[in-house]
Amino acid sequence: MTISKQPLSASWKDELLFAVLIITASWCVGLVVNQFRDHPLPLVYESKAERLENTVRSLSVEAKPIPVSAQSFPSELSLGDFEVFVKQGKGLVFDARPEIFHRFGHVPSAISLPREDFEAAYTRLKDRLETKHDQLLAVYCSSISCEDAQLVQAALQKLGYAHVAVFRGGWDEWTRARLPEEKTP
Amino acid sequence: MKKSWLDWIAIGLRITLGGIFAYAGVVKILDGQAFADSIHTFRLLPAELINLLAIGLPVLEVLVGGMLVAGLRSRIGTVLVMLMCLVFLIAISQAMIRGLEVNCGCFGGGKPSVAQTVWSLVRDVMLGAAAFFVFWREQKRHG
Repeated sequence: MTISKQPLSASWKDELLFAVLIITASWCVGLVVNQFRDHPLPLVYESKAERLENTVRSLSVEAKPIPVSAQSFPSELSLGDFEVFVKQGKGLVFDARPEIFHRFGHVPSAISLPREDFEAAYTRLKDRLETKHDQLLAVYCSSISCEDAQLVQAALQKLGYAHVAVFRGGWDEWTRARLPEEKTP
Repeated sequence: MKKSWLDWIAIGLRITLGGIFAYAGVVKILDGQAFADSIHTFRLLPAELINLLAIGLPVLEVLVGGMLVAGLRSRIGTVLVMLMCLVFLIAISQAMIRGLEVNCGCFGGGKPSVAQTVWSLVRDVMLGAAAFFVFWREQKRHG
């Protein structure tokens, strides 16, 4: 069997050259667009955990050490425990999902502390948080597969809040159980 | 030359494909970080390449989508769409084989899940097939 080498037709050469041009132009335009973002992407990717760690590092400069109580607290809450915790209202409940989802519906009395906008939200809540340092804080996000609640838990712990528990089931489990919801107007 | 019904289907598909790609690109440009996080879930690229891809690929999708909608250089436009579909197909398939729950990030962020991954794969094959059909008609037109 012989394979004949056919030269690329002029029209295809022209098309391929155009493809190379458009690919190059895309990356050039993309780099320019990136510079105009509120938060331009750095050239090397940082994971969600790394970004939150950097935020915590910048916040820790001002953070004061918070006394740790001798009482033991869980690091995870089941739906039943979380429901009791919410009803008792003894500690704060944080919603680690993006703020827009919090607006559409959240666990009653939960405060928005989104992982993606942690710095601004934490700065806003700092005074309120410090008065609750000896109490349990609970964090949830959308479902068992989301990592935001655990990332926020780790961030709060690094900032000196020792008693932070995660409700792993998150908003999905809460709504599936038909428990009360609250909306932010 | 009179257009056959196959040509009219190709025109409809070309415009739809272009619209889908342009929309997908705009959504990714608006939230570049979410797209970069989606690429990260595939565990395929080193950190040095993830953001570069998140910066350039959405613009390419918008430009190619615009070309297809406008009917400019449709032949190479569909080749680029098929190439992008092939890359997405490889990325999604390897994630499924490795048992990763990924969020394809095709139309912005979202929760990683197996159902999402399977749907992304089906959608990708459908888009690739549509692009091939348009390419076939364009190739016929060019002779």
